[in-house]
Formats: sequence, structure tokens, C-alpha cells
Amino acid sequence: MPRIPRVPGFGGRDDSHADRTPQPDPTPDPVVRQDTETELDLPDDPPAAAAPAYGDVRETVELGREREEEPATHQWAEAPAPAVAAATTAGGAGAPHTRVVSEPPTGEEDEYAWHTGVRHPTGKPDAVEFVETHKAFGRNRILRGLNMGLPEGMISMILGPSGTGKSVCIKHMVGLLYPDEGDVLVHGDSVPGMALEPLLDMRKKFGVLFQDGALFGSMNIRDNVAFPLRQHTDKADSEVLEIVDRRMDEVGLGHSWDKFPNELSGGMRKRAGFARALVLDPSIVLFDEPDSGLDPVRTALLGELIMEIHAEMMGEAEQRGQAHLPAFSLITHDIMTARRVAQYISVLWKGRIVEAGPAEQLFNSDNAFVNQFLAGASRGPLGMN
Amino acid sequence: MSSPLSGAKDALAGFGEMGRFSGRVVGQVLTLRVLRFLGEALRQCGVLIVSSTVVIWGLVFVIGLQCGLEGAYFTRSIGSPAYAGVFAAWCDLRELVPYAFGYMMAAKVGTGIVAELGSMRISDEIDALEVMGFDSVLFLCATRLLAAWLVLPFMYVASIGAGFFASYLAVVEQVGDVSSGGYLLIFWMFQNPPDLLYSLIKAMAMATLIVLVGCYYGYHAGGGPVGVGTATAKSMVVNLIIVHIIGMLGTQLFWGANPRAPIGG
Repeated sequence: MPRIPRVPGFGGRDDSHADRTPQPDPTPDPVVRQDTETELDLPDDPPAAAAPAYGDVRETVELGREREEEPATHQWAEAPAPAVAAATTAGGAGAPHTRVVSEPPTGEEDEYAWHTGVRHPTGKPDAVEFVETHKAFGRNRILRGLNMGLPEGMISMILGPSGTGKSVCIKHMVGLLYPDEGDVLVHGDSVPGMALEPLLDMRKKFGVLFQDGALFGSMNIRDNVAFPLRQHTDKADSEVLEIVDRRMDEVGLGHSWDKFPNELSGGMRKRAGFARALVLDPSIVLFDEPDSGLDPVRTALLGELIMEIHAEMMGEAEQRGQAHLPAFSLITHDIMTARRVAQYISVLWKGRIVEAGPAEQLFNSDNAFVNQFLAGASRGPLGMN
Repeated sequence: MSSPLSGAKDALAGFGEMGRFSGRVVGQVLTLRVLRFLGEALRQCGVLIVSSTVVIWGLVFVIGLQCGLEGAYFTRSIGSPAYAGVFAAWCDLRELVPYAFGYMMAAKVGTGIVAELGSMRISDEIDALEVMGFDSVLFLCATRLLAAWLVLPFMYVASIGAGFFASYLAVVEQVGDVSSGGYLLIFWMFQNPPDLLYSLIKAMAMATLIVLVGCYYGYHAGGGPVGVGTATAKSMVVNLIIVHIIGMLGTQLFWGANPRAPIGG
């Protein structure tokens, strides 16, 4: 069972009942220094996902009287972390309750206190690479010097809180958006520097599954899936339909070929979008929140499907000796999907990478933010704001 | 709060952006790049024919009836009912049929394009086209413009026929102050083939701009369903202004200096 570190403060909502339970004073010393942990039930058994990342935290415990504060000696002592204090005070009948005091970051450096930018090596070349990428929409700065890579031959996952620039990343990869500064490289070629025709050719390397499938409403799903093949290849229609039917069988939609997108459920639309994304045998497949709007079982099945098809495409690529192994990249904030599917994880926050590396290493990371996010814990550096 | 000057600047910038976008679409048709998606263009032709023809012809027929009635009663009131054909000829060919055509194009085709492209935009279908390696402007807009150019001249000429027929019914069959031969003599005397060409030019200029405005507003729609609705309404306003400007300039240009009215020898 994973253990989630109980860390007061850091802007997180302290909603643990354990915090409100009267605790015996462990030591007669008025200054109480604790390494506090609590245990939460998670539906999965992560590999030491939430190993306590925090050392000592500065904590003042008041039991009906003034206590003196002990200086902090925690692992972020060198980082300009926000000043945080949590106080457990005795209330009414002597039952202590926790008061969380968190000061908002005061400057940009504070915002990036947890951004180590560490990228654990995989030994594989990057299919897509972001180099010091900046992007702003008006005064809203989304990407702020992003350095990130998606390795070939792996299922990567870009994880991060909402509104942190994950979907903007996808649009930069395929050249739907251009960075204000910095570069985006696909197999070593700079996307912002491409003219229209090379850009359109480069995009054929990609298959993209949009959140709602983005199927064309005027076509049935077989025509939707066949569309890229019919427009981009000279294959005979019988050959096109053979490929399409194979892909649709793979995603379990072989029997629904004549349905229109508005007749399909959300999950079926996603699967049809997945079939369309795969039909040109792309070397990079991007999934924009494949789990959004799906129930947990369908999400798990879709995750399995992604892994199966990646393994199949890897086998084919190795057999053919392709120059670039297939890179799948998922954007999500669903931790369960990350646990099941991800081989490589990049944690993105405030437009920069907090930490990136093979999934196992990330799940065992000492970084407080990564730890909190991958554990889905309410306490830690990430708060509601 | 923005000042009137900055509002005017924004409007000018918007028109400039629309002009650049329109130039790109027209260029893709004129350079025949659009033929890469000939199948889609033909599909759009089919959509135009099936969904708009009857509506446009129906409206023009009603306008033709009105022109006939107005002409018949007016000429009766001044004691020259035989000249009802003058009113019908000019009203139908030069003014009301182009206007009615423009209105229907704006209301039916223009708004339809905005709604369709806008919906595709907010549901990521346009992005999906782009990431599949398609030039979405070429596929969505140039094909629609080509379809309009292929279909609408014939549809317009046929709609003029519907207007003429309706005026004939009103003047000769309903009011009946003038014989068929007498009506047609005057009717054809007051128009000639160049007039038909000029009328066609007016209508096609309207249609072209309406399609381009529709494509621009639809392609750049944003902000969810409300944004699509706003874009549709804006495009309708712009298109109505365009219809009137082209109607006025066309009349001034083609018939202002020489009304080609065989009166007084």
C-alpha cells in the first residue's frame, strides 16, 4: 500500500481526518519536530510511488500555549522554496486542528523551486525535442523555457496539472503553433523553420488522437479512417478498405463501420480516432487526454490497446529496420493510466519540466512535486492555485 | 474601454486579415492547386445544388411576381399598361434578382459555411486535417469557392429565368392588361445580352465575396458554440453590406453612364 507523506502547508488542502484526531504529544519537549506520514488507500499498488520525499518540515505545534519554532532543516533548504508553516492548535475541548499557512510564491524563482529539470537518460534518441521553448498567448505565458524530449521506441507520457501547457506542446510538435522563442525538433528537423509543403509532409509522420476523436461528421467511421489513405496514397480502394478494416478490427469497431460519429459513444469515437491516427503507419503517435470522459474500465482497456499496438508497431519497425522506432506520447493527468501505460514520463508544470525520465525512476523520485503529483496526494507543493 | 480610433484600427486590421485570407483562397483556385481535391470540390457542388437551388429559385420567383405586379399596376395607373415589360425587365435583371440572389446566398450558403467550418474548428476537425498533412484552407475553402464558381453561374441564369417567368405570369396571366406578344416585345426591347452578362457579374461578385467571408469567419471561429454563433451573425452582417455595396456599384458601373433605355428613338 502506498504511503503518502503527510506534509503540512505548501498551499495544499489539508483534508486528512488523521490531522484532526488528537494526538498524544510524542515528547515533552515543547518544540515538536516530526517526520509525519499518513497512509491512504490507492486503487493500485505503485512501486514505492510515494516514498516520503520530505525530510523535516518546519512545523510549530501549539498545544494551548506558545511554542517556539524550530529552524527548518529540510531537503529544499538550498532551494528558494516558499515560506510555509503549519500549526496544529488546540481547539475548544482540547482537540487540536491543523491550520495551514502558505505564502504564495513571491517571484519567478520561487515558482520553479521544484523544477530540477533533471532528465534521466534512456539511451534512445528523441523523436521530438523541445529546446528552450517559450510560448505566450497575450500576457498568459504558457511555455517558459521548456526543455523536453520524447524518446523513440517508448510510450511517453506528459503529465502535469491542468492549464500547464500540455496540449500546447502537442500543437507545437505538429506545427499548429509556433514558439515565440526556442525550437521544436522532430527527428532532428526544426518545425518552426519549415515552409508549408515540407511541414505538411512532416505531419505525415504523426498520428494524433484528439480528445473527442475529431472525426469528420459528414462521413461514416470507415470513410473517416480511410480518408488519409485515399488522399495521401495511390492505393486501390480494395486495398484501402482492407487496411481500414484491419485497423478497425484492432480497435474493436469492425462491426460499426457504417455508423456516423454522432451515433457513437465517446469511447467509440476515441477508438475510431485511434484507428485513423494509425492508418498511415506514423512513426509518432500523440494522444491528447485519451482517458477524458471515459469510465475507468474503458480507460484501462484503451491503455491496454495502446500498449498492444505500440508493441506490434515496434515489432514491425524492427523487422523492417526502420530508421525511427515508433514513439507514442500521451498527454494526461490520469495517474492510473500513467502507471499502466507509461514507459517514460515528463512532469510539466508552469511551462517547464519538473523532472523527466523512465517511469520507474519518476515513480521513485525524491522530488516533492513529482512525488505529490504521481501519488495524487492533496498535500505537497501543488495547491489549488 | 477602447477608443473609437483603436476600434477603427482593429476593424481595418480585421479587413486586412480577411483580404489576405481571401487572396490565399482565390490564389489556390486560380493556380489550380484546388484540383488536388477535385472530388471534394464536386461534393461541394452537389451540396450547393441539392441544398440551395430550390430555395434560391423559389425566392427569385416570388420577387419576379412582385416586379410584374408593381409594373402592371404602375403602368396601368399612368395609362400605359403595354409598358409593364419595362419595369419587369429592369427590375428583374438589373436589381432585384441580383439582390435576392445575394440575400439568399448570404442567408443560406454564407451562414451554412460559417456554421460548418466553425463547428469543425471547435471540434478539432480542422486541426485533425492539418495534422494528417492536408492544407486545410485548400481542402475546406478553395474547394467551396471552386464549387461556387462552377455551380452558381448556371443557378443564377436559371433563377433569372424563374424571375422572368414569374413576371410574365403576373403581368400577362394575372393582371392581363397587355397581351403576351405586347408584353414580350417591350420586355425584350429594354434589355440585351450584355445586360445579362453584367447582371451575372454582379451576382457572381456577390457570391464570391459571400463564400470568402463565410470561409474566413468559419475558419477563424473560436470560443466554443457561442463563438460559432457570433461568427455566423457577424458574417451575415458583413455579407449584407457587401451585397448592397456591390449592387450599388454594379448598377453605377454597368448602367450609370448608359442606361440602354430605347426611349424617344
